[in-house]
Amino acid sequence: MKDYLLIIKTEGSVWTDLSKEQLQKHLEHGTAYIGNLLKEGKLKNANPIDKGSRIVSENKGVLKDGPFNETKEVVAGYFHILAKDINEAVDIAKANPIFKDIPTKIEVHPMMPVGG
Amino acid sequence: MSGGELLTDRDHINQLADHLFRHESGKMVSILTRIFGPENIDLAEDVVHDSFVEAIMHWTYQAIPDNPSAWLFRVAKNKAINIINREKFKTQYVSEEYLQSERVPNSMSHLTFSDEEILDDQLRMMFACCHPSISIDSQVALTLKTLCGFSIPEIAKAFLTDRENINKRLVRARQKIRSAKIPLEVPYGADMEKRLSSVLETIYFLFNEGYNASTGEDLLRYELAEEAIRLAEIIVSHPAFKDKSDVYALLALMQLDASRFKARQDNDGNILTLEKQDRSAWDYALMEKGFINLEKAAMNSQLSSYHLLAGVSAYHCSAASYESTDWKSILELYSKLIEIDNSPVVLLNRAIALSKVNGAEKGLAELDQIPKTASIEKYYLFYVTQAEFYIQLNQFSKAIESIQSAIPLAPLTREKSLLRKRLEFCRQKAS
Repeated sequence: MKDYLLIIKTEGSVWTDLSKEQLQKHLEHGTAYIGNLLKEGKLKNANPIDKGSRIVSENKGVLKDGPFNETKEVVAGYFHILAKDINEAVDIAKANPIFKDIPTKIEVHPMMPVGG
Repeated sequence: MSGGELLTDRDHINQLADHLFRHESGKMVSILTRIFGPENIDLAEDVVHDSFVEAIMHWTYQAIPDNPSAWLFRVAKNKAINIINREKFKTQYVSEEYLQSERVPNSMSHLTFSDEEILDDQLRMMFACCHPSISIDSQVALTLKTLCGFSIPEIAKAFLTDRENINKRLVRARQKIRSAKIPLEVPYGADMEKRLSSVLETIYFLFNEGYNASTGEDLLRYELAEEAIRLAEIIVSHPAFKDKSDVYALLALMQLDASRFKARQDNDGNILTLEKQDRSAWDYALMEKGFINLEKAAMNSQLSSYHLLAGVSAYHCSAASYESTDWKSILELYSKLIEIDNSPVVLLNRAIALSKVNGAEKGLAELDQIPKTASIEKYYLFYVTQAEFYIQLNQFSKAIESIQSAIPLAPLTREKSLLRKRLEFCRQKAS
């Protein structure tokens, strides 16, 4: 089994753009999805992203930080999963029910194994 | 973040009741509006929304708790306490009058969310939202948003309009509450009857919006009808209203009508008339509730239009078939109804009942009697009814004329297609 990092990027925010009814559905199928991954031993860690993100950048040797650019694309969270190969990792990403709630992109990154 | 800290193993996943979030939201907004004051409905909504966000973040990774409502209320209460403690709250958010009133909690211990409080607060909210000085469109929008937990896009979709329109209605409603200093109170004494009548009118309006346009694809609109029923149920569960027969009558009317809802379309989504409906698809459990409330509505001798309409609905519900419907009794009820309400719709429905008892010729004569106002001349069902009478009398060319008048006036596409089918039928018969 290999490690993969799934980064969830939504168009708009689940927290502001969904109605109560949609939030309930989001919760219901979200918990089912995570529950399944746990049962199959494929989920190492996962976390939603909170408010108050900042971005640090450098310009002509000067480091500055400011509020995260409020583009429509919002990093909603991440999943650290275990899968036998990239195809399985992609299938796991495709099965995420967040696609039903809000326009979403999921980046699937193979994590380089580092000794330890 | 070390692996597995937030994630716990779950053997089973707790299920949430249908629309739990929406309904809990309605309760919580009502309570917090009482605590923050009616001018601060927005603040109440923000706190409730934040509580839900927090709930979901936790529950997704830690499992849905056994008592989700209690969890939500606890979080909302803590947020409310934090807000009240801030000096900013007293100086910026509340008026002098509100501070003097009994509403401001002096200590944390006054913040109780008991069942009685929750019921009281929802009723206060209902009377504030349905205040007669607010336009009915705005009343309905505000009720759906605050008491029923609908979002602006959902309300816009339900009323076939856009978000700006709904937002304007909400802004106007909130402005009216501030400017007219509409209190968050359940009225009593002489004021009660009038105010209650206004609330019931709004609830019935909401019900009809949901009921009239509902088919499988418009599930959201049927949910409006369900919400109307739920709001009326909240009213009757409060002891102050147990002798108000109008509420029971309205509740009976809505439940009896809604019980026949599922049979109104066939598997392809086409509308079926009462005559063609498969009565085994009716919701007999809901119908029974309607009958029970109809009984309760007969508690005194008052007869509102809700009583009479509920009676008509009851006769339809208790008929084993269209042919065995007790039209004579229905006609009697309509004849009583036109004394209270002689609007064209009522006159039209009475004409239909009359034709069932006395024949289509008399039905047509009755239609001629209806004063031709703009509202009846633009009402497609007037022409549809006329057409059906002509069809019964085998006067197909006249029927064709009537249907052709009806088609451009029919508001929904599927109604137009039903009419076109009828037109085809008449053309075949005429040739």
